Amino acid sequence: MTVREMEKHLTPAEVYEARPKNFWTRILIGAVLLILVVWSAQGIKYNGIAAKGSEVAYGVFYGLVHPDQALLFNFTSEGVTYLTLQTIAIAVLGTVFGAILAIPVSFLSAENVVPKWLAFIFRALVLLIRTIPSLVWALVWIRVTGPGPFCGVVTQSICSIGMISKMYVTAIEDLDTGILDAMDACGCTTFQKIRCGILPQLSASFISTTIYRFDINLKDATTLGIVGAGGIGASLVQAINSRRWSMVGSYMFGLILLVLIIEWVSTKIRANLARGERG
Amino acid sequence: MASTNEPVLKTPLFDRIFKPETITLASGHSVQRPRTRAYLIWGIVLAAVIISIDVTGFDFAIIAKRGHQLAVILGKIFHPDFTYYSQVVSPLLDTIKMSLLGTIIGCVLSLPFSILASSNINRNKPSLLIVRFLLSIIRSVPTLIMASVCALIYGLGTFAGTIAISIFTFGIVAKMLYESIETIDMKPFEAMTALGCNQFRAFWAACVPQILPTYLSHCLYCFEINIRAAAILGYVGAGGLGVLINERIGWRDYEGLGTVLLMLFILVLLIDQLSTFLRSKLS
Amino acid sequence: MAIEFKDVSKTYPNGTKGLKHVSLKIEQGEFVAIIGLSGAGKSTMIRTINRMIDVTSGQLLVDGVDVMTLKGKSLRKFRRKIGMIFQSFNLITRATVIRNVLTSAVPDMPWYKVLFGVYSKEQKMKALEALDKVGILDKAYSRCDELSGGQQQRVALARTLNQNPTIILADEPVASLDPIMADVVMSDFQRVNKDMNMTILLNIHHVDLALKYATRVIGIRAGEVVYDGPVKSVTKEVLDQVYNGNEIPQMGKEEHQHGKH
Repeated sequence: MTVREMEKHLTPAEVYEARPKNFWTRILIGAVLLILVVWSAQGIKYNGIAAKGSEVAYGVFYGLVHPDQALLFNFTSEGVTYLTLQTIAIAVLGTVFGAILAIPVSFLSAENVVPKWLAFIFRALVLLIRTIPSLVWALVWIRVTGPGPFCGVVTQSICSIGMISKMYVTAIEDLDTGILDAMDACGCTTFQKIRCGILPQLSASFISTTIYRFDINLKDATTLGIVGAGGIGASLVQAINSRRWSMVGSYMFGLILLVLIIEWVSTKIRANLARGERG
Repeated sequence: MASTNEPVLKTPLFDRIFKPETITLASGHSVQRPRTRAYLIWGIVLAAVIISIDVTGFDFAIIAKRGHQLAVILGKIFHPDFTYYSQVVSPLLDTIKMSLLGTIIGCVLSLPFSILASSNINRNKPSLLIVRFLLSIIRSVPTLIMASVCALIYGLGTFAGTIAISIFTFGIVAKMLYESIETIDMKPFEAMTALGCNQFRAFWAACVPQILPTYLSHCLYCFEINIRAAAILGYVGAGGLGVLINERIGWRDYEGLGTVLLMLFILVLLIDQLSTFLRSKLS
Repeated sequence: MAIEFKDVSKTYPNGTKGLKHVSLKIEQGEFVAIIGLSGAGKSTMIRTINRMIDVTSGQLLVDGVDVMTLKGKSLRKFRRKIGMIFQSFNLITRATVIRNVLTSAVPDMPWYKVLFGVYSKEQKMKALEALDKVGILDKAYSRCDELSGGQQQRVALARTLNQNPTIILADEPVASLDPIMADVVMSDFQRVNKDMNMTILLNIHHVDLALKYATRVIGIRAGEVVYDGPVKSVTKEVLDQVYNGNEIPQMGKEEHQHGKH
């Protein structure tokens, strides 16, 4: 050992004394959490189960176990299948229109494409869209389009622009310019560079984002029904309010099945995309 | 000795229907070119759009005719009525309390279930699949619907909202958590069983320190989502800002609505900043 | 504590024979190195001793007790006396060095202390002394992922020493280390073996290190013991038999690139 190493050599007792003491930090964090919990809890009033409350609970479970089978297989506009289709349709259009509209918006919000002040304006716009909850958008749009699935489509298109352009912008700003250099070096025009250098990089990410948003829109479409924007949510809420438990059960089944299938499909597709594009 | 680990790829269904083209070069070597899937995919998308337009009654003309209504309403929303501000404070606090309590309850309850749902800890296949299935079902019921059912059971008010948020959080956090648990390093666990610990102690001492930061990060992320969700739940009577939103729209008081939305916006901004800050400290 | 293999065989479920009719005896205080090709059965042999792998026939006695008769609580008590060092260190990388060393005290603690991670001053001092023994006391409160491979293996050794074992098993302990650190860790093992009369049984790929530090060598080929004797008697013919005529792996062949440590 060199002299320096001998000097640095401490005994276990000395190292123990010099240990970092974070006992009090942990107590502090625990105390803060406890205070937050207590403050929240005393603000929530528990009024016990409401007058017909337990009936409702029982009813819902009853409905799930005894769904209205006629309704499940009913193909008219009252039936679960049609409503499910309608819900999917709302989500499809909402996503497609949203994705298409989001493309120009996102390019205009990307700082490596347009000047900073312009990007700032469009980002603020997108932020505004995203802050207004989709429910509120739906309620506002009802004044324009009237209730029904059309309102749902428009609401979802707007809300989709919000999330999709945020994700598109990230993809655009992460562009690998190395490829553009390589294309420059072999003499390509700007159009060729965009078509063959930029678009392939973006397309995988765009498609993945769109599919992800479709998944979310599907779940959202069921909710928008509550305010009257069509889809299976509307009928479900009506059934709940009129205490028709078997109908509730059928609609719930349809809804849960829909969500589960879509989730499974979208996970598979996105995994496939992540593994690499084919043609 | 281990054989080569090359996975044998099954020919995808598409390629079995539309056989790849064989291109042969002058040198005699040939290569298989799979047919492009693009046409099929675009075809499906186009068909879906056309069917959807029909089913939803999409009509652009309506937007064109009545679009100015939207501008009017939006204009009012962006001129918030500041005198209304004092009425917003109490529901705002209610919203925060609902989200906080609901998130904490949901996160705590999700712990044991996510452990049961992790394939590297729970070797019992049937129970694993049952737990995962239950979690999927809980996750697929939209919060608003859960909240309206809770509001019917427990009466109007913040309690119903808290329960709804707890259930919702439980579903999401449990999923994110078991996905994280499956990626942890089991080697320290192995070391601890080798030195004589039983499974529980080995798990607590070796695995938990690895997931703790991720778990807390997931909880914070869920809290962010919950604040936004809590703000809406009031629409079905579950307390918080949503009640105000419902009221204001009912009265066509769009300026008042603007005030509520503004407060919501500020709240969400603050919570997001706080959450991002805390999450950065965790990693 | 003596280890005795009596006609021990291990056949894996897929038919592979890990060990074939192994019989030998290892006394307390020996430093034994097991050498052989990959897949020859070195790892299997080590892991049957603390029953990380089950024996399919024959008897494996440790301190007179048949390992296969132990289960549950008795197995855990048995494992307390045997320390194990792994090739990939098996540390909790996010946690501090001292926390990792303290984990070996966990089996003997009451459950509420384990839950909150509360260790007494004596336990912490004992852990620090174990770290001092392997020469990394100054890193006690650093995070494990800030340390080099050699330092991490020493933390693992400190963790094992903190357990107060009578036997230390090591499964390829220096395979992930560079030549200089490998040498340091092997000399740590040698020191522990001499100072504490600890039985050391290790698995090693690099024959020159085995011959330099161990006192007894066991050569395994295709699950069978083909050589069992003192280091001095290991000749080239012996090594050819163990390695089946293949090139004999040496650590020293890799050039020292750094100066003296």
